[in-house]
Amino acid sequence: MNETLKLGLILLLITAISAFVLAVSNNATSAKIEEADRIANDEARKEVLPDVENFEPLDEVKFKEINSSSEEVTEIYEGKDGSGEVKGYTLKTVVGGFGGDIEVITGISVEGQITGMKVLSHSETPGLGANADQPEFQERFKGIPTDNELVIVKESPANENEVQAITSATITSNAVADGVNLAREIYNSQLSK
Amino acid sequence: MKLSETFRNGLIKENPIFVQLVGMCSTLAVTTSAKNGLAMGLAVTGVLVGSNLVISLIRNVIPDKIRIPSFIVVIATFVTMIEMFMKAYAPALYSALGLFIPLIVVNCIIFARAESFASKNKPIPAIVDGLGMGLGYTLALIILASIRELLGAGTLFDHQIMSASYQPALIAIMPPGAFIILGILIGIFNKVRMSNEEKKAAEETKSAVEA
Amino acid sequence: MSLFTILISTIFVNNYVFARFLGICPFLGVSKKTDTAFGMGVAVTFVITLSSIITYFIQKGILDTLNLGYLQTIVFILVIATLVQFVEMVMKKTSPTLYNALGVYLPLITTNCVVLGVAILNIQEGYNLIQTIVNAIGASIGFTLALVLMAGVREQLELADVPKALEGFPITLIASGLMAIAFLGFNGLV
Repeated sequence: MNETLKLGLILLLITAISAFVLAVSNNATSAKIEEADRIANDEARKEVLPDVENFEPLDEVKFKEINSSSEEVTEIYEGKDGSGEVKGYTLKTVVGGFGGDIEVITGISVEGQITGMKVLSHSETPGLGANADQPEFQERFKGIPTDNELVIVKESPANENEVQAITSATITSNAVADGVNLAREIYNSQLSK
Repeated sequence: MKLSETFRNGLIKENPIFVQLVGMCSTLAVTTSAKNGLAMGLAVTGVLVGSNLVISLIRNVIPDKIRIPSFIVVIATFVTMIEMFMKAYAPALYSALGLFIPLIVVNCIIFARAESFASKNKPIPAIVDGLGMGLGYTLALIILASIRELLGAGTLFDHQIMSASYQPALIAIMPPGAFIILGILIGIFNKVRMSNEEKKAAEETKSAVEA
Repeated sequence: MSLFTILISTIFVNNYVFARFLGICPFLGVSKKTDTAFGMGVAVTFVITLSSIITYFIQKGILDTLNLGYLQTIVFILVIATLVQFVEMVMKKTSPTLYNALGVYLPLITTNCVVLGVAILNIQEGYNLIQTIVNAIGASIGFTLALVLMAGVREQLELADVPKALEGFPITLIASGLMAIAFLGFNGLV
């Protein structure tokens, strides 16, 4: 029994030391991690909704209301200019793609135009669907008005609401368009005045 | 064993991937681009050097019976530290490697070195062993990742290498490519080793005959 | 995600061995014979399911409430190691037949990254308890399936005339690659 106690104490000591070491390094890095997180999120928002000064989360009550009816919408921010006037919104949506969930952030201006789209995370096929996070595809969504539903087409778009698909990745393209469409619907029904 | 020999041992002769065939999970998973391969290799090297050092330092204090749980705690501590620092200073890289950073804990190479080398040697050789093994691992990862990236995307460390008309062989960066290319690489490694041994054997018989 | 989607996705589309590269070591080590492969699969299923449930409660009950999320890796691996030991002891006492069948695989499971991988993924994906269990079972079935299929192939490979340099490990990897191509066919199913 004495032996067991001794072994237990040694093991306890080792775990205590390691917990202490980790607590110290957590203390040293946690602020930095949060900062890095915030910067990354801020940059994504800036990218899809340029020309605004700062971002603030949408009123919590209103967001809860939207989130409870369409839970694919995970985050909504208001973009404001220097005088505090709302210039547009960024909406994060999660949709099912070819290989798993795709997280998309869409920027919409108060004039009812899509100002940008960015794929934040995905598990699509490398070289095919994974090209969804390339600027080349994301650019195609810029400037489309929110009045009509976006449609993915295989050739160059003929109408204003058409977006050309990624080569050999129609399912992924459609999924991304679903995410943007959802953001568009939420904007039309809940956010635009 | 001399230090330089210990180092070379890990780098080539006992290369973790090509010879010992351990740590396969992360090897196959993160080698979609040379950059990821390099980052993963360095993270593993960091953990390996740290855990080897600490385990060598405490090797006489730890009773044999609780050896394994103690090693696990030490290794997990280093892995978590690397995880924190990557999250703080290289978030993009962290999200590319994702799950495979915490999974370094169960990477057999680290535990194997702790058990078979660090727990039996002084701190300095243990560090050298960790460096050698870690860099050997990194080297193998970079080779595999470069081939996959070059074939599958036509780039190397994100720089376009192949001409624009090159149609990337996507299969190379998809999961099957990882298995097949690694299989072929180990085959080539075996072939080289075998012909070296044959040459040596032939020379020995030759000198024996001459004598 | 519905439970059925999770199940199909973990078994076929995102098979833990062929698409996520988890558990490659035992996959290559214990896939020489079909019956041992099946034995390993059953042992892993047992441990993954149990450890997923336990780590779920630890994460929600202890780590999250005390804000100790950064201790996740270290706590999970210790839980898994202890669990494997515990299962081994209980099995030895209560069911010697089962122990004889599965006992040899148990120590190998601690360093099987599927177990830790599933435990961490459950938390990352934000699964609830039921989803966690379904995901754990799906992962185990997918792992067992990969192991048994591969064992079938390797039993045949023994008889084949393989170039000397490719014998053993390399040819197994190449065969796994071909199998992974087959599994790519499930892509887009969910």
